[in-house]
Amino acid sequence: MDAQKKDRRQKRTPGVSKRMDQAVKNGPGSTGGVRAGPEGGLPLTLQAHIGRHVRAVFDEVAREPIPEHLLRLLKDLEQSGDK
Amino acid sequence: MGSLRAFAVSLCGDKERADDLVQETLFKAWNHLDSFKEGTNLKAWLFTILRNTYFSERRKRRREVEDADGTYAARLATHPAQHGHMDMQDFRAALGRLPDDQREALILVGAAGFSYEEAAEISGCAVGTIKSRVNRARNRLASMLGLEDLDADLSNESISKIA
Repeated sequence: MDAQKKDRRQKRTPGVSKRMDQAVKNGPGSTGGVRAGPEGGLPLTLQAHIGRHVRAVFDEVAREPIPEHLLRLLKDLEQSGDK
Repeated sequence: MGSLRAFAVSLCGDKERADDLVQETLFKAWNHLDSFKEGTNLKAWLFTILRNTYFSERRKRRREVEDADGTYAARLATHPAQHGHMDMQDFRAALGRLPDDQREALILVGAAGFSYEEAAEISGCAVGTIKSRVNRARNRLASMLGLEDLDADLSNESISKIA
């Protein structure tokens, strides 16, 4: 990509500049890896990235302490089962 | 129990309502214990009860839910996630904007640890349907968060991790 094009792109989306620099520094071959996902899906690296975030959002809630009233309910249910 | 609650939160986006859902699920499970086949997957059974409870209630409260979706959309509009690295806030909001069926499939397979087959059973649909929902969910998240460009970065990141 020539400098002029790069310039224009930076103006349009400022956040891109760092990534562009990175890509330029590493050269075109550096993206490497498996790019196309299975069954025409997203590249695997991107799938993994999204997967990590989905798990993080989920685990954040899953690790919270169970609210007291739910624990009590579970205990009550267990006890009524012992009868 | 933690993951059941997390699943409930991912469905309705509201912890208080999620706790009500979990409570209702436990009651229902208890009252229908005889319909649970011993030796089968208890976790999957509880998830099934919870999602069926949620969706049947949701059908009743359709209008209310649409309002909630509108709020999500408005928030994203004033705060577009176009800055390369995405923070969790953006991701959570984007997840909330996915169609219910896609979000559900992605959570079941991608976070709750179910196989495609189990997820299909929980959602009452074909395995192929779950697979395509998961794919569409990922694609939609990537485009909502402007992640397509990020692919090159991620490759570099994973290479440096391995190295």
